[in-house]
Amino acid sequence: MMSERALEVPRPSDTSVDSQKAPEEVITVQHLTKRYGDFIAVNDVSFSVREKEIFGIIGPNGAGKTTTVECVSGVRVPDSGSISVYGLSPQEDRNSMREFVGVQLQETALPPRLKVGEAVNLFASFYPHPLNPDELLESLGIKQIEDSIFRKLSGGQKQRLSIALALVGRPKIAILDELTTGLDPEARRETWDLIEGIRRRGTTVILVTHFMDEAERLCDRLALINHGTLAVLDTPEAIAATAGGTRVRFVPSRQVDDDTLLAIPGVTKVERKERYVTVIGNGDLALSVMSSLAKVGVSVSELEAKKGSLDDAFVELTKDGRSKVYGGAQQ
Amino acid sequence: MTSDNGESGSTNRRGPFSELLSVESKLALRAPYGLGLGIVFPTVLLVVFGLIGNAVPGNVTNTGFTILDLYIPIIMVIGFFGVAISALPIPLVRDRESGWLRRVSTTPVGPSRVLAAQLVLNLAFALVGIVIVLLGSVLVFGATLSVGVYFVFSTILALAEIFSLGLVVAAIAPSQTAQNAISGALFFLMLFLSGLWYPAAEASGPLQTIMYYSPGGAAVNAMLGSVFGTAPPLAAVATMVVYAVIFAAVATRYFRWE
Repeated sequence: MMSERALEVPRPSDTSVDSQKAPEEVITVQHLTKRYGDFIAVNDVSFSVREKEIFGIIGPNGAGKTTTVECVSGVRVPDSGSISVYGLSPQEDRNSMREFVGVQLQETALPPRLKVGEAVNLFASFYPHPLNPDELLESLGIKQIEDSIFRKLSGGQKQRLSIALALVGRPKIAILDELTTGLDPEARRETWDLIEGIRRRGTTVILVTHFMDEAERLCDRLALINHGTLAVLDTPEAIAATAGGTRVRFVPSRQVDDDTLLAIPGVTKVERKERYVTVIGNGDLALSVMSSLAKVGVSVSELEAKKGSLDDAFVELTKDGRSKVYGGAQQ
Repeated sequence: MTSDNGESGSTNRRGPFSELLSVESKLALRAPYGLGLGIVFPTVLLVVFGLIGNAVPGNVTNTGFTILDLYIPIIMVIGFFGVAISALPIPLVRDRESGWLRRVSTTPVGPSRVLAAQLVLNLAFALVGIVIVLLGSVLVFGATLSVGVYFVFSTILALAEIFSLGLVVAAIAPSQTAQNAISGALFFLMLFLSGLWYPAAEASGPLQTIMYYSPGGAAVNAMLGSVFGTAPPLAAVATMVVYAVIFAAVATRYFRWE
């Protein structure tokens, strides 16, 4: 019970618990652009994050995900565009913003001999209304290692500690960057549960990831960033359905050429393997394939329809010269 | 009503800086470079030169000082260098390289407090070293010192100059490996110029000039008179001021939090 309370976060006073009300947008990013020398890391990206949602930012390595959230958290200064977080500017109001935005940066190490308990107590002292460090450690399952020094921790323990540091100040917004990279599958699943727990307690979460299963499982909405631009912003299901498409595999009663198949409404692509033909596209593909082919006197057998996954959508939306860097997403 | 749930009690809560200082102190004792270089090393040197001084009493080479007298400021200044250019940059460069300073910069406190805590802590090591050398040389080895306002003045200048040099090392070292190499080479050079092997007061000609106008030699020169209650030479004071200003400017210009 204590541990449940430990992660409780005060709700901002201007939002009631009225679930019918349209969700409030607490972070607005407009036309964000950031260059490093000649390289444009983020190019005219706009999106909004709603209160208490888990907002995912996905994309290939080097796409600009981390730069985007670092501009939101105030670690970096954008070259142009505007960012508003609860009405504040991360750059101009950095001091007041730091009190309610908890950040977990990619690849941050603590001083090697700092103990878990010391780190969390130290960060608690930085904030005006921190959570109780002991209860927080308890609820994250790392209370028993509070006397261990950072250097001796496992990857999963380090991530839990990193989450603890991001949450101890009772943030309204938690920005988590590549949280589960380098974790074993079990630790990843446990981390997912923790993130869902954070949201249940009223914190808005921005999650940067390159794992599609993670994005699919956790995120309410996803922004896919590729080459520094926003490729798509929607729910994981909608992205999978739209960009991932539908795959229909069948065996035609006689040879059908590609042109005939591509003329079928909704079909965008044809693949052949042995006697199987697979058409990829959108809409009620199985039905239109059967009816269109029936018109030209072809019957189909062994028909199998499969909805595209977020993985398929990701490959589709990022396929270009850089899509080969798509590394960790195939699980 | 529920807003205080799970919050640590307001009693026993320390402010961010005292919490930071306490954590940095614990860390400094777990990897005791500052303790070793600022306190243990000067103590060992004091014992060595105290014993030599007792074995070879009287004035040396017309300087008017005993061997221990000559070495009292040298030992102190070497302690300052050990703390400032070896111990102080270690956590700063490490925590910058690991992203820890950047992580702290996302909290309401900010990384400048980490730097401040490190300075306070390492100055404390240097001060303990000073007290040990002063008390040890007088009480154990019978030196006749006259520590007063001149000594305080020279010591503050020496600390300002040498700690600024330490911050230059922390500012320009791109990695922990580089910092190790820079600190090691610089420390060795400063040991020599401060007169550990050959006190500047005993040297002559160009070598003495070089030593007197080095950061360490100037500090030793100023403090040597000061521990006996005489005013430090103006040249030594001016040299320290110039170095302090240059080092502070360079450190400020090049120091990075990430």
